Amino acid sequence: MQEKINRWIWISLPILVIGLIILYWIEKNEVKEFTRNLFYMDTYIYVKIEAKDEKKATEALEQVEQIYDSYHKLADRYQAYDGIVNLYTIYHNTDPDATLTIDERLYDMIAYGKEWYEKSHGKLDISMGNIIDVWNHYRTMQTGIPSQEELMLHDTGSIQDIILLDHNQIQNNHVNIDLGAIAKGYATEMAGNYLESIGITSYLINAGGNVKVGKPSHKDTYSIGIEDPNSTVGDVFKIIYGKNISVVTSGGYERYYEYEGKKYHHIIDPDTNMPSSYMKSVTVITEDSRLGDVLSTVLFLLPIEEGKALVDTLPVEAIWYDNNDVIITSKGIANYEQK
Amino acid sequence: MNKNDGIMIGVILILCLLSILIFAKWDKKGDKIAIVYYQDEVILTIDLAKNEKKDYQVMGKNGTVIIEVNQDKIRVKQENSPLHICSKQGYISKNTESIVCLPNQIVIQIQTKNAIDTVVH
Repeated sequence: MQEKINRWIWISLPILVIGLIILYWIEKNEVKEFTRNLFYMDTYIYVKIEAKDEKKATEALEQVEQIYDSYHKLADRYQAYDGIVNLYTIYHNTDPDATLTIDERLYDMIAYGKEWYEKSHGKLDISMGNIIDVWNHYRTMQTGIPSQEELMLHDTGSIQDIILLDHNQIQNNHVNIDLGAIAKGYATEMAGNYLESIGITSYLINAGGNVKVGKPSHKDTYSIGIEDPNSTVGDVFKIIYGKNISVVTSGGYERYYEYEGKKYHHIIDPDTNMPSSYMKSVTVITEDSRLGDVLSTVLFLLPIEEGKALVDTLPVEAIWYDNNDVIITSKGIANYEQK
Repeated sequence: MNKNDGIMIGVILILCLLSILIFAKWDKKGDKIAIVYYQDEVILTIDLAKNEKKDYQVMGKNGTVIIEVNQDKIRVKQENSPLHICSKQGYISKNTESIVCLPNQIVIQIQTKNAIDTVVH
């Protein structure tokens, strides 16, 4: 009898110990998901990190929030913040001849906007804050559309009046600068780059129409659905599979209002001061979220054929959803389909 | 029952417990769940695979938000906000669909197994 007990103990004890070690090892090496919901730039931002180390992940999420907070404040043109020269302070400065020293990040965004004004032949125009405010007002009231006279009255200041000097200085010429097509993409790119710089390579950021992903920990690619502009329940018309990419959509189907049976959305063509109407949405796939943000706006304001010509000259792919619900894709989109 | 049997039963029980723990790690999510956040905090995790009908009350930035679960669908029934965008949205049930109440900073997300990671719009 005694022998039997001994045998049982000698068989079970090692199993028990090994089991406990396995359990501990799984717990320690398990890649866990850490997420954060942020509310900046009038947008819901979802951040997900896949990591083993909880402390590191929590600190990283904290830093990502800091990045969005800074860009939000710098690009805010409706409100001033203590100790920050932002778009509001630039526009509302009382000394018209002053030069202001601004945060390098704001300087870079304005410089990027000026660069893309040239590259897009004026379709991306960061000097349109006043025109955009007129449209925002009508969209809130939902009672009509602005006349061409009213729009012309607010068409003050042009991109040439925004003068950047050396050493992060800007000459104040009372242009109401709007970085609506730049700041979100910039902040998202910076957040992704920061995560990579500290060794977190598995992450997913969704900032409204602006997605940036790293490489997932447990599979080859992230899957990113593109919303069908006709769907009221968030259906997806295409899924992009990729890693280390950014996917950005511009569309007129979310921020809009209807007046006399016609829809008026929020992306304004600088050439007409009116919402453009070439398509329902356009999506850009690129490595750089800044480029994705700017280019999706530019493509939304260009006829599809012209947009395709532009896309062919850049390291990007694009998907257009036209007014007849036809889906048009650039040549390399097959690289992002499931194999 | 002698001493021998007692030890054997004990060992088997511990082994069972261990395997339950290990398998629980493998499979901790239901087939379809709704996660309700207030700002950054998960305030509710609702199993939508249970198909029940129930109201939940949570606190948003502007006060009480009533969330209704009906079968495998979920919606915001009542909230305080200027435009009531999220209560007008109605039910959601598909993976990666979400309800965002910006003024209340309440977010509801649906997660299912083996589905798309995120949706761009």
